[in-house]
Amino acid sequence: MAKHRGRGFSAIEYPTGMNQGGDPSQAWIKMKPDGRVDVFAGTVDIGQGSKTVHTQIVADTLGVPYDWVTMDNSNTDSSPLCTGTFASRGTFIGGNAVAVAAERVRERLLEIAARELEIDPSDLEVSDGEVRAKGAPDRKLGVGDVAAAATWTHGELITGSGAWMKPYSAPDPDTGECDPHAAISYAACVADVEVDDETGEVRVLKLIQVYDVGHAINPTLVEGQIEGGAMMGLGLGLLEATYPYYPALDHRGDQFGSYLAPSTKDLPEFDNVILEYPSSEGPFGAKAIGEMANNAQPAAICSAIYDAVGVWVTECPATPERVLRALERRSEPRREGKRIVFDEDLSVRSVSATGGEGFLAVDG
Amino acid sequence: MSLIINGAEYELASPPLTSLLNVLREEVGLLSPKAGCQQGGCGTCTVLIDGEPRRACLTPLGAIEGAAITTVEGLGDPRNLSPVQAAFHEHYAAQCGFCTPGMMMAATGLLARRPDATRDDVLEALAGHFCRCTGYVKIVDAVLSAAAGRVDTTRPEPEAEPGEPSVVIPGSPA
Repeated sequence: MAKHRGRGFSAIEYPTGMNQGGDPSQAWIKMKPDGRVDVFAGTVDIGQGSKTVHTQIVADTLGVPYDWVTMDNSNTDSSPLCTGTFASRGTFIGGNAVAVAAERVRERLLEIAARELEIDPSDLEVSDGEVRAKGAPDRKLGVGDVAAAATWTHGELITGSGAWMKPYSAPDPDTGECDPHAAISYAACVADVEVDDETGEVRVLKLIQVYDVGHAINPTLVEGQIEGGAMMGLGLGLLEATYPYYPALDHRGDQFGSYLAPSTKDLPEFDNVILEYPSSEGPFGAKAIGEMANNAQPAAICSAIYDAVGVWVTECPATPERVLRALERRSEPRREGKRIVFDEDLSVRSVSATGGEGFLAVDG
Repeated sequence: MSLIINGAEYELASPPLTSLLNVLREEVGLLSPKAGCQQGGCGTCTVLIDGEPRRACLTPLGAIEGAAITTVEGLGDPRNLSPVQAAFHEHYAAQCGFCTPGMMMAATGLLARRPDATRDDVLEALAGHFCRCTGYVKIVDAVLSAAAGRVDTTRPEPEAEPGEPSVVIPGSPA
């Protein structure tokens, strides 16, 4: 009876912008007469930070400070449509939509600035809230001045709308070949676990996780997704089960506590690595992180259990019961009148009912 | 029945068996304590009762006559955050935010009791508080930095008043 340590790993790929022909996000942006920017987009921020990321995308594309940009996704009536916050599409598809809209606002802004500065729009650039002539940075105008000129001098509104959707790629009828998704994120997870072969309990000691997200527009939020996803994945690997005989309602838990989810006491040591191999399709090269963040851990944990005690738990979560059953299956079958004892190396010894002893098998 | 809530005395009309959570949310109108599982399991309704973190959903009003209650509304305001609030803000310790009020009250209770709390103290104090977004990492980091006094609680830049643009509108007739 002992605790055994093991290490396992898993690698995953996760597609974004999938080929389902009809998964759009739309955005509309207008500039106030003082240069501040209102973004109307339907993508809902459920805490993952899409509002922050979209604000960054708009601010960077337009060349204005972050603080000037306000996201309004307060309701689906006043905002353009977004198919939804799912499938890790918030940054990739929603972000592309606001980027396209911001690009058009930028073009309109330069058009008005061109009239004011009497310079061709193609010779202008905008950054840090100022429109400047390329190569002649002294010829400049604040974005607020341009917006004011549009409003009060020219009687126009600086605005732009955009949308993004992966064009449908029809599969070849013979080979099935098509362009299945717009970008693929990659990840790998290494899990260090400790398995108690007496109780079947598994503890995750450390998770090393590497995510290629294309470009981390907001690295702290990406890290939040990695850590949050890891604890969900740890729950899927070890704790969280639908009730027995699902979907039959028998034996369903009726208390909050009958569904086990990880707490601070299950917190392993984390080592997060973010890789950036940009996508040609995503905003600023970004790919996806959302849902993929809880995919790799269950497989890595089960591999680590195998490394620790030499048995595969093939059904998640790897509850103590499943671990013990796997250990038992690995041993000689239980015989009438005999007690089976596991020693530290999991070799098997039998003790007869009369106290006599004899080795049945040693399973390395 | 009376309670001192965030420093102000309240005379309450709710019957004595009403849960403190319902009193705070329905009668007093303080919405920071959240109604999560309402079985004492999730921790998001946690408030301080005479300085101790307690589940408001399991506490009948009649049991705490005259007690001093603190909710997140009593910790600080947007321009003057409490150390725990400032640390949560700095460390990105909230995602969806539903568990945040309970986490903050438990952390505030812990740091009042044990200002030099260790990582194990923090893990223990927050063990009954479920968070499904953050993986707890940034929450624990935030509480530890508040314990170490490594947070700036002042917010020097005032937010723009509504209707009063922070940027002067050049060329406007106004």
